Amino acid sequence: MTSSGPAPESGTALIKAKPFLPPCHVIHDLLSTGVCIRCIFRLSGIHDRDCYTSPLDESDLILFLEEQNEIKSNFTTITYCCICLGVLCSVCCVQEKTGAAFKEISSVNDFVLFISDMIKREGYQIDGFSLEVSVPPVIAANERALRLHIKQKYEKEQWFNDKFLHDHMSVKDSLKLLLNASLEKYLAVQSVESLSSPFHIRLTYSHFETSQKLQSLVVNCRDSKKRERGSGENGSSKKASNESESDASIYRVLDLIGDHDFCTRFLVPPRKADKPCQLVVACHRTPIYIAGRYLKYSRNVSQSRWIIDDERMGEASVEELIGENVLQICRGDGYKFHSAGREDIDVRMLGSGRPFLVEVLNSRILPSYTEIERIADNINNSDKKLVGVGNLKLVGAEAWNMMREGEAEKQKEYAALVWISRPLTDDDVCNLTSLKDLDVAQKTPIRVLHRRSPLERSKIIHWMKIENVEGTTQYFLLHLCTQAGTYIKEFVHGDLGRTHPSIGSILGCRAEILQLDVTDVKMDYFD
Amino acid sequence: MAENAEPSEETLNIPLQENNKQTIEEEKRRDLSYVLLPNPKDLPQTPPAAVETNFSRYFVADFMKPGHDQYVYRHANGLCVIGLARAHVALTEAGGVTVVDFNVGKSDRSELKVTGKRKRNALQFESNSALCKVSANGNCYIVRCCVKGSLLEVNDRLIKQPDLLNSSADREGYVAIIMPKQGEWLKIKDSLLSYEEYVKLRGLS
Repeated sequence: MTSSGPAPESGTALIKAKPFLPPCHVIHDLLSTGVCIRCIFRLSGIHDRDCYTSPLDESDLILFLEEQNEIKSNFTTITYCCICLGVLCSVCCVQEKTGAAFKEISSVNDFVLFISDMIKREGYQIDGFSLEVSVPPVIAANERALRLHIKQKYEKEQWFNDKFLHDHMSVKDSLKLLLNASLEKYLAVQSVESLSSPFHIRLTYSHFETSQKLQSLVVNCRDSKKRERGSGENGSSKKASNESESDASIYRVLDLIGDHDFCTRFLVPPRKADKPCQLVVACHRTPIYIAGRYLKYSRNVSQSRWIIDDERMGEASVEELIGENVLQICRGDGYKFHSAGREDIDVRMLGSGRPFLVEVLNSRILPSYTEIERIADNINNSDKKLVGVGNLKLVGAEAWNMMREGEAEKQKEYAALVWISRPLTDDDVCNLTSLKDLDVAQKTPIRVLHRRSPLERSKIIHWMKIENVEGTTQYFLLHLCTQAGTYIKEFVHGDLGRTHPSIGSILGCRAEILQLDVTDVKMDYFD
Repeated sequence: MAENAEPSEETLNIPLQENNKQTIEEEKRRDLSYVLLPNPKDLPQTPPAAVETNFSRYFVADFMKPGHDQYVYRHANGLCVIGLARAHVALTEAGGVTVVDFNVGKSDRSELKVTGKRKRNALQFESNSALCKVSANGNCYIVRCCVKGSLLEVNDRLIKQPDLLNSSADREGYVAIIMPKQGEWLKIKDSLLSYEEYVKLRGLS
């Protein structure tokens, strides 16, 4: 800093701050205790962004003091603020994930560069962001200690009012204020409040040594409180002394302690730290959804990944055939496959296809029309035509509810290849096609009885149509439209009489099903 | 297949848009039929029954008493369907089976209600526990469990329709469904007869 005073930009900031600041002797006291300039601004109730984003530091404040009162003072520079531990001075040691190398940060610029570097490397495509900050509870303890110190020392003075202690921004909010502006400029996108943007930048601060001290103090507090209250809670939650308390429980203890009690256990005012905070930066996008309809052409492909005793059942799974392709193009961390119902491994899904959703976790991009086309091409033009997709599009999170809502209500159409123990007659055809909205009572089929409740479920067969198979007398194609949840195979062969009526019972002979195909699943949202 | 079919007489009065929609629907159905319809040459005269394909059929001859032949149809998921085998002496009586009564042993088996996926309140049976008694031609025969395990269900249709045992004892006339206790199946499996062995033993066709 030159002797001609702080830079013009900082000058405006100081001018803005002045009316809020406490008297000079108080500022002096705060500075010598080890409070950084931004914490001083915070405690004074300053909310103006410019005051925090300007490159002011403690020496500017000292100069300002000297100008005001011509007090010459010698200060050792503050390394790490006794309240915020350097967080608001943008000084910390940052790593991208646990185990990675630490990098020292000492300015907002460094910080912003580090974050935008990370985003670029991962290849995130963003149109906004929300900052998520987590600070160690020791900061709350430090702040309380400092406030108590001020109160004890100055509460009799005229300038002092409760406003000084209560109406001010938290460290978290100041940090967001401080960083959002620079990040916005650097990333060229808007910041969004309260995690409303789908892209989150999470900053997790920790300060090992002071947190340790706080831990033991807190455990001490809690145990003595228990002793005070009496032996009412014996052995309920005895934690080993080396187990760490969660942040929430620490905050709870701090809430419960009275000021007097607090002063006996914690250092008032708090001591300056001699090491900076550690910071982990993590970027994350909330899940995106890709909807569509799938067709299954193979009778040897299960719907979801099916592995028993390390062996896969069937050749592949719809879930993987579609999910892997989506994951590859979106470059996500993982995926979840949801569909409107399912079919057996040996049943084909034809016609318009079955609606599905692929939820992509932490996708790096927001797929465009061309990228979605590419996903569809990769699946539809693969060598083995096991599965096909259509109507692929990016949808919002509401799609999940739309799918679940429709599932139980919607009707499904099937085509079954049926054999009966005697030749089919015209009367049979009339008989079956004339039945509309037929009630069928189905006991839980034996093939799923081992894992489902033994119940009798009432289902409706809306209509049936017969198509002859030329060259045979005892085979026919049965087209039917049924309520969701109807077991078709059991409706044909009767499941030892546990599904009633069945094709066999209606026609008065034995009926067997050889093949089943799903021909339509009606759901408008996915068209 | 005529892709651009001329509208037939009946559809001339319908506006063109709807007519096109109809043709598209018909086309879709024709394409689908093509995929769905099998080649009749690939179809067997008599396909295997669901009971044959989904279950492994085992038999026990003279279970505790001569002529008391029963079957145990085991599904791939482990559940066992118990019933009277073809050569059970009750089925050979004049007039066949006339009455089926589940009230045997300590309780009426048809009263039990098993609920939930875990089937916790199912009765545990030994292999010689009685399931029911059938009456035929004045004689009474007891049908037993054959497999140690939980009783999931009895075929209560047999109460009102005992004739099911005479017409289709191996399907609709099944007696009960048992969930074998863990490890039990392996113990008794080797003592049971296969379908071929049973047929040979009883000299059936």
